[in-house]
Amino acid sequence: MVRRGWRWAVVALGLAVLVALPAVFEALPADDASVAATDLRDRVLASDDVAFSGYAVSTGGLTLPVSDALTGVADLLSDQTSLRAWYRGAEDWRVDVVTTTGETGTHRDAAGTWTWDYADQRASRGDAPPLALPAAPDLLPSALGRRLLSEATDAELTRIDPARVAGVDAVGLRYTPAAEAASVSAVDIWADPTTGLPLRVVVRSADTSIPALDTRFLDLDLATPDAATTAFDPPPDADVTTDRDLTDVDLGRQERADLPATLAGLDRRTVEGVPDQIGAYGSGITVLAVSALPGRAAGSLRSQLAATPGAVVDDLGVRIAAGPLSLMVAGTSTRDGGSGTYLLAGTVTLDALATAAQQIQETDR
Amino acid sequence: MIAVELRKLFRRPRTWITIALLNSLPVLVAVLLKVTDLAPRPGEGPAFLSAVLTNGTLFPLAALAIVLPLFLPIAVAVVAGDSVAGEAQGGTLRYLLARPAGRTRLLVAKLVAIVVFVLVTVVIVAAVGYVVGTALFEVQSLGATTAVSGTSLTPEQVAGRTLLSIGYVTISMLGVAAFAMFFSTLTDSPQLATLGALAVLIGSSLLFTLDAASDIAPYLPTRYWLSFVDFFRDPIQWRNVARGLGLQAVYVVVLLGAAWANFTTKDITS
Repeated sequence: MVRRGWRWAVVALGLAVLVALPAVFEALPADDASVAATDLRDRVLASDDVAFSGYAVSTGGLTLPVSDALTGVADLLSDQTSLRAWYRGAEDWRVDVVTTTGETGTHRDAAGTWTWDYADQRASRGDAPPLALPAAPDLLPSALGRRLLSEATDAELTRIDPARVAGVDAVGLRYTPAAEAASVSAVDIWADPTTGLPLRVVVRSADTSIPALDTRFLDLDLATPDAATTAFDPPPDADVTTDRDLTDVDLGRQERADLPATLAGLDRRTVEGVPDQIGAYGSGITVLAVSALPGRAAGSLRSQLAATPGAVVDDLGVRIAAGPLSLMVAGTSTRDGGSGTYLLAGTVTLDALATAAQQIQETDR
Repeated sequence: MIAVELRKLFRRPRTWITIALLNSLPVLVAVLLKVTDLAPRPGEGPAFLSAVLTNGTLFPLAALAIVLPLFLPIAVAVVAGDSVAGEAQGGTLRYLLARPAGRTRLLVAKLVAIVVFVLVTVVIVAAVGYVVGTALFEVQSLGATTAVSGTSLTPEQVAGRTLLSIGYVTISMLGVAAFAMFFSTLTDSPQLATLGALAVLIGSSLLFTLDAASDIAPYLPTRYWLSFVDFFRDPIQWRNVARGLGLQAVYVVVLLGAAWANFTTKDITS
């Protein structure tokens, strides 16, 4: 029996070692670096000239109640997305969304982007408009980290514990938005202490412990990738098209644009690419967009939102939240003798949306 | 001892019947594609099948993708499940072990024979795929095969990457073979050993589709099977290929170890 036992003991021990190895590596503490939160932010913001190549995974925790036209955006924010990236500079990079049997690649050059879709065998050319719907390259930790920190003030930043990301001892930074209307409770960013390159970004909302978005590098190489890797020439037999951007979208008849200078405590601002009819408010990660809605669109959107679980329906209109994102159709149809109808959307709380809707109605009167 | 096992395996008619059956599905698919001219869209259906109508040299890959999920692992489980239990059921195991070579060497010889069987099978599937693909579909002579990433691959690159895929698919089957062989040392019934390995295979495939099982997905034996597609990205994505190879190695080492622990101390009565 003893003779029989030692062989099984060897196998069990070997199995235990193999199973424990990944957990042991994960549990090894990461080294911290002595750097102030504001200095770290400055380093992150200056990191857009750091060349790298890598593999990242983004996990979204949001379920968006959207129509078929926006499934791409909804998938990015609710699913796991695998990204391969090669970055030579702000206007020379490539990000591939990799699936088991296909991929969609975005190649940026000085004049715009090529998007290659293997499933459709289609290459499309875009001119990199200032305003666009979220796309997979925006989810890369490096791009997202810089974007989210771009308007963070000194008082909103604190240092957090370091973490090992893609084999790098990354230093941690927490951005806690100060605005009362904010629905994002914190953004945690871990960056390479030497280059400032963001390696992991976690967006948290106050109402749940599941991050609204968690994107991180799993592999990273700071060597400059080949120019041939980021360049793109459409294959000869591919379907070549031109991207539609948001300025091509018919916003319908714009009813009015005289919106207040402040809504829910957030100041109105101008954003490049945003049409005058749309009011943009807030700063940093706390933003609110307001647009008048044509009656026909308002009716169908209102009933769609009202049918969403958790929707709040009252005299002010219908409002819903998906994680830190919130959406409201405010006011009543002018045909019914009511006030004008507005669409409010942003990263603000439902209470802030209600306040904003009330303030718009008061301005209307 | 390895040569003896190989001779035994490849002299059996059922080994060749298995390989023939395995080839029948891709050939049927090719004929249907030719007759109907209806290929799936890229990204849908088995990998690479969408491209074969315009480039028959890709059909070996499509054939591998067709047999990979079920046909090939079933064939491997049947042969590996039979390796020890088949001898026990046939009453020949006692005589095999009467030779001075020892049980550990017998196990290793059986495993090597299975690996050779998998390699021969995969190569035949690819070769038949090539013959059928080039005979039925157009062949692009001027290097214009579009890789998954939208870049062009030369015929030499396609050939090289197809060879890498053949090697990778062969190694991907080792996990199933190791499971079946381990079960084969536990029972005297080859059918039971084969079914055990198929249960693992189906369980793994099912868990892989569940979001709730995403934490254990990297350890499932079927997790990286389709990563041979990564050879056709540009540049080649080695990450999942390397993980697939490592994972199969771990399964082989652990299960062969368990088979060894069990088999070397087992009372052989048949």
